[in-house]
Amino acid sequence: MKQQRFRFRVMAFLLIALLLLAGGYGVYSVSTYGSRWFGSSYNTRYRAAKKTVIPGDILDRNGVVLATADEEGKRTYPTGWHTRSAMVHVVGDQDGNVSNTVDSFQASYLWGFETTLEERIEALRTGEKRRGDNVTLTVDSTLQTNIAAAFANLENSKGKAGAAVVMNYKTGEVLALLSVPTFDPLGSMDAVKDDPQHPFWNRAVQSVQAPGSTFKIITAVSTLQNLADAETHLFDCSTGATMIMDQIIRDYGYEHHGMITLEKAFQVSCNNSFAQAALLIGDKNLKKTAEAFGFNDNFLFRDLVVENSRYPTQNRNDFEVAWSGAGQSQVAATPLHMCMVAAAIANDGVMMEPRLLMKVNSPAGVQRLGFTSKVYSQACTPELAAKVEGYMKNVVTKGTGKAAAVEGLSIAGKTGSAEGSIDGRYVTHAWFVGYIDDPAYPYAVSVFVEEGASGGKAAAPIAHEIFGWLTGQ
Amino acid sequence: MSRMNARQQAAWEKRKVRRQPERRLVAVEMLFFFSAFLLISLKEKVDFVGLLLAFVVPALIFVATIWMPRFFPADKLLMAIVNFLCALGVLILYSTDGDAGTSRGFQQALYYGLGLIAMLICILLVRYVRRWRVLIWIIAVGALGLIALPLAIGTEINGATNWIRIGSTSLQPSEVVKIALVLILSYFMSRRKLVPWLGFVGLCMGVLMLQKDLGTALIYYCTGLILFYVSTGNLALTGVGLLGAGGAAILGYKMFAHVKRRVAVWRNPWQYYETSGYQIAQVLMAIASGGLLGVGLGLGAPRVIPVYFTDCIFAVICEQFGVIFGILTLVMYAIIIIRGVSTAVSARRGFHALIAMGVTAMLGIQTFIIIGGVLKLIPLTGVTMPFVSYGGTSMVSCMGLIGLLQGVHSLNQDDLSYDYEISRTLAQQAGLQLADE
Repeated sequence: MKQQRFRFRVMAFLLIALLLLAGGYGVYSVSTYGSRWFGSSYNTRYRAAKKTVIPGDILDRNGVVLATADEEGKRTYPTGWHTRSAMVHVVGDQDGNVSNTVDSFQASYLWGFETTLEERIEALRTGEKRRGDNVTLTVDSTLQTNIAAAFANLENSKGKAGAAVVMNYKTGEVLALLSVPTFDPLGSMDAVKDDPQHPFWNRAVQSVQAPGSTFKIITAVSTLQNLADAETHLFDCSTGATMIMDQIIRDYGYEHHGMITLEKAFQVSCNNSFAQAALLIGDKNLKKTAEAFGFNDNFLFRDLVVENSRYPTQNRNDFEVAWSGAGQSQVAATPLHMCMVAAAIANDGVMMEPRLLMKVNSPAGVQRLGFTSKVYSQACTPELAAKVEGYMKNVVTKGTGKAAAVEGLSIAGKTGSAEGSIDGRYVTHAWFVGYIDDPAYPYAVSVFVEEGASGGKAAAPIAHEIFGWLTGQ
Repeated sequence: MSRMNARQQAAWEKRKVRRQPERRLVAVEMLFFFSAFLLISLKEKVDFVGLLLAFVVPALIFVATIWMPRFFPADKLLMAIVNFLCALGVLILYSTDGDAGTSRGFQQALYYGLGLIAMLICILLVRYVRRWRVLIWIIAVGALGLIALPLAIGTEINGATNWIRIGSTSLQPSEVVKIALVLILSYFMSRRKLVPWLGFVGLCMGVLMLQKDLGTALIYYCTGLILFYVSTGNLALTGVGLLGAGGAAILGYKMFAHVKRRVAVWRNPWQYYETSGYQIAQVLMAIASGGLLGVGLGLGAPRVIPVYFTDCIFAVICEQFGVIFGILTLVMYAIIIIRGVSTAVSARRGFHALIAMGVTAMLGIQTFIIIGGVLKLIPLTGVTMPFVSYGGTSMVSCMGLIGLLQGVHSLNQDDLSYDYEISRTLAQQAGLQLADE
């Protein structure tokens, strides 16, 4: 009987532990994913709130009102056509065609779900329609409009789809988050809907693409980490091709570079050398470094919903590993994430969490919340970052990224020409990631041009323009 | 008592009243529900059903927690909590009725009353029936007949054939059989009769499998396993039982596409939003919309959640009252478990101890399965949330189970006061005075 009583108590403990587990898990998941669930485009609740609440304004970092609402609570976009089109993927449109925009993801603020009890009572007393909070973003709408114009006007990116991201590598503040093609949120959606380039898609955070040679930043870090003689080792690119498992690794345009060091290989973006490097350090080490830079992680940024990046873990053979060293073979990342990679190198290996929200003010103008910067991860040591920074500067001064250089600025960068496919068609996407090495202008940039063919020709010139605007030249 | 004078008698009575902190708890409870029903019924235009409920529901609480315990010693804290949950169910259902044209709140109030009657019957059953030997076999045969009935004349609802229709009302026999299951398993186990024990569990499981009622089958199985463990203490065989269940789960996953899909939906409901992930995605959005403190009683959009009135009612609670309140609801279930097990521990007879444990295990497992499912800790299985979910059979079975528990508790109290009388007599004979006087 006594033992039986002991077993009763054990079962009580077990059952209560199960219930507490459920409760604890519930609290954990609501606090972690709650805003994502709430902001989901499927959530009909804030559409219901539209009847009783006038949504708050969305402002850019300089106070430009990007979105407001009329007395009925209907969204309007008071900026000019160029700006409101360029900003549409960040701000959102009336029908919610773009997913996870500020308008939907920050709905809890904009639709007044965070108002205090006193404010609700006050609204009841005055009998006015309740107003949501005003949200100030970190983006600079002028800069983003300029980038959109550059995208549309420069010869090698004209008419092409793509994305551009600018962020402050010290704080993680996102200054521009452009996805091309843009569309006018006040215009007719019928033509936009059928556009084969899918303008509703926010490529900056949703397009997970092979990063191509821009991934060599990570391969270089990993090689320096894991290969004892990394800086003196000579890689063989005398024929311009490497045979692995009876398949050929070749360089862009079948160039051959001879016997070269890692530094030189980085500068000329030699696929053969990086394929050999990847095989020398091994899949496991390369994967480890990539994961330190955020690959395979479940991105749960506070302000942004970003598709996860991939470093493949299945079907690995030498050929696949070799191509991974050059950022191909199922390695994939978003333009925003590649911007974070460059920013981490710039910030002594410290990767900052990207931020889109500067502050939230109540309708009465009282600041409800200020937001702070947060470190996302320590991607690599400051020494390694400094070495790779040197390589990246070579790329801009004398390598493949010369088009990004700006007179008088110390710019580091890496180009990429990544092979991908659109609807079964083989295409080459152009990439450029880089940053200004100057404490006064702590900005990292990532440019992605779909079917841009060559990173140095299509993406780097846009980055060149961006660097110019950022520094006021 | 006879030695007390009138003054002492009065002081004793007063002390007895003061010793009932539950009265205050019940008063707060009644006030809470009175004002809540009043609030909703007067919101737009006066709703007379709501006004009626504002009086009926507190009256039911009063009857169950203050009036009923006058006739036998009851666990009043347990009673207060169970009645709170029942009334909460009525309130939530009434608040979601709104302009939808349903009258589930009123229905549920009737079921609540029915549940109280079921509870009373079960209390009387445990308290006054002394000879179970024949009765238990009658119950066993009756229960098996009842649970198998849907196979013959059942209707399929939500993929499971576990309902029977009588006229305009539908019944779920597997719910009512839960009461019988606890009685039968406890009886056979306390008499160490393993063959009929296994036979009954096996037959019930087989029938439930045929009806594709996996959630209920899981509850039956876990209750049986827990009762087996606590009465025999045989860890090895319990482990075999657990492994068997695990193996069956893996086999089911490998063999049946719909089980696979359910697991996939559990892992990422958003991917299947358009089809089978819809329900859990809506549940998660509702919970997230409530936040910590909830959107408020009668507000929010609970009706977009599929089966918000039964399986997913916990999500509605979280949306309207907030996550904190949801956790407190869980704590109430935890208190039910604690009271149940302490009743089991202080029971004098093996049969009664196992009844109390069986009831506790069954309610605990069912609560975990549904709340864990709603919070996405485990795949969502369609079982009701005890006391709260809409439904007459569920209410009757849960209140009946609580009746069994209260019956055991009242017997324990009787035994205690009997002990007290004996020690008092002995003390008097020895010329001592007890500290309590």
